[in-house]
Amino acid sequence: MISGTQAILLVARREIIVRGRDKATLISTLVTLAIVAAVILLPSLFGGTSTATVAVASGSAERTVQAAAKLEKAFDVKVKVRQVDGDAAVRRLVEAGDADAGLIAGGQRILAAGGAPDGAVPALQEASRRQRARAPDPQPLAVQTLDQEAEDRQGFAAIALIILYGQLLGYGIWVANGVVEEKASRIVEILLASIRPRELLAGKVLGIGVVGLLQLLVIAAGGLVIGAASGEVEIGATELSAVPVLLIWFVAGYALYACAFALAGSLVSRQEEVQTVTTPLIMAILASFFLSFRAVGDPDGTFSVVLSFIPISAPLVMPVRMIADGVPVLQVVASAAIMLVAIAAMVALAGRLYGAAVLQTGSRVKLRGLMSR
Amino acid sequence: MLELDDLTRRFGETTALDGLTFSVPDGGLFGFVGRNGAGKTTAMRIVLGVLAADGGSVRWRGEEVDRAARARFGYMPEERGLYPKMKVAEQVDYFARLHGVSSPVTGELLERLGIAERAGDHVESLSLGNQQRVQLAVALSHDPELLVLDEPFSGLDPLGVDVLAEVLRERARAGVAVLFSSHQLELVERLCDGVAIIEAGRLIAEGSVRDLRAQASQGRWEVEVEGEDMEVVALAEGQDSQGLLDDARGRGHIRRFAPHEPTLAELFRGKLEAA
Repeated sequence: MISGTQAILLVARREIIVRGRDKATLISTLVTLAIVAAVILLPSLFGGTSTATVAVASGSAERTVQAAAKLEKAFDVKVKVRQVDGDAAVRRLVEAGDADAGLIAGGQRILAAGGAPDGAVPALQEASRRQRARAPDPQPLAVQTLDQEAEDRQGFAAIALIILYGQLLGYGIWVANGVVEEKASRIVEILLASIRPRELLAGKVLGIGVVGLLQLLVIAAGGLVIGAASGEVEIGATELSAVPVLLIWFVAGYALYACAFALAGSLVSRQEEVQTVTTPLIMAILASFFLSFRAVGDPDGTFSVVLSFIPISAPLVMPVRMIADGVPVLQVVASAAIMLVAIAAMVALAGRLYGAAVLQTGSRVKLRGLMSR
Repeated sequence: MLELDDLTRRFGETTALDGLTFSVPDGGLFGFVGRNGAGKTTAMRIVLGVLAADGGSVRWRGEEVDRAARARFGYMPEERGLYPKMKVAEQVDYFARLHGVSSPVTGELLERLGIAERAGDHVESLSLGNQQRVQLAVALSHDPELLVLDEPFSGLDPLGVDVLAEVLRERARAGVAVLFSSHQLELVERLCDGVAIIEAGRLIAEGSVRDLRAQASQGRWEVEVEGEDMEVVALAEGQDSQGLLDDARGRGHIRRFAPHEPTLAELFRGKLEAA
């Protein structure tokens, strides 16, 4: 007789070998990498003539911007002016990312957002130089580039979110399909004649999870390489620290959702019925995904904070918040603790119901009926 | 010896097993016979621990069956189950390891079952007959002490039946207890040393096929006299077989005089009617 651990490892090993060899694994890795590459590279490829909004607070500055707007062809950038009241307001707009650049000190200084279109600042310089053409030896305007990190991190968080969403959903569905495959082919009878239901469940979730984690690592590394090679992403501490955040929250989210998907799969006997039972779980992940985009733009808003504590959405929202802005340690710990409790409860529930459900073939097994036994 | 002792099992309102008791000796083929829904599969699943009994017990070699004992059982469920996209040899290896075999000898087993050349093929690419052989290989992969096979012969061509029968006899000679269910009663009659007949979750007959047939023949003889049809004659009150023979001899030249032993199929029908 083999021990429980041996049983789990044997089942996991089979899953890893079979999934690893499956062409679908390779294809999904490549597709995800392609999506990541597209998200990173497309903005610059399809750049064309981009538009820069320039905030101004004085009449002379406004004239400079209007002059710059006429240089659209030369600098390949459309310039739009936005009038506000006072230099402080100009600075706020640029910092908030609502304007790409601003002219302050009566048009004598340029404030530029790090992410401003490439031609914007040179266009403003040229316009200003022409205006001062009669002055002796016109110097270029002083340029202050405002920290663009916040925006960078948000973009990064959005990419992380898309990857994480794909992994959670894809691997959850794999688990459900795997469970149904065994149930539909009745192979589960032979399996359960030699190992316990929860060992089979644990091995399956573990094995598929390892494949998911490895794939995530490949995608994350690939994404960083593509970003760095194209010059679109500067690999710094933020980017590197995002990788462990991504991996850890994938493990947490996967543990919760995979057990739920396995339980859902154990309720039906045919592959065609998987869709029906997994729909609520897919909806939960989808909803969390869309809500997480709010967290990308507003990582510290009440809404995002609350969502990052609910186990259903936390695996997507929390890493997004952490990557986009950084989260107080206490909040991370609290959210992780709630997550662990939820995972433990889900593992216990799935472990208890899976064995009973997976041997009941025929019509769909009712969860309520299982619970009451 | 495998002992099923007073097993009961209900599914909702239905009683699948109702105090089923019988035992399967080591080193022999034992047939498990009953109508569809009589409870054969339920009993087998309980023996394998796939299903829990509501009452009663299963003992192997005198001990209550536990997981350690079940690791030495081989099982072939009625609904065949294999991973369609896994290679034959890998699949058999996998199940051997799950049963605690650290270095499986799958090659030999596949050789014996005549599917060695398919070892590297995906199961789904095999014919149904060959898939069934793989299924048997899975049941045999860990050299079990007890084999429980649910309808192992169904769907096999005559050659497949011969291979399977020979493999099972071989195992039985090696001391393995083999319990299998079948609707092919001639086959059970031909192969089995003992049978258990169940109906509605209860045992209605158990014993060696020979004894059961002899028992059922009691007082009935087949008499065929030259020029007449064969008839089955029951001994009259106070008459013995010699008296019957003398009567028959008076009617003419005797072609046949033998105890009327029903086939297992006839026996089965008779037992069902009586039950």
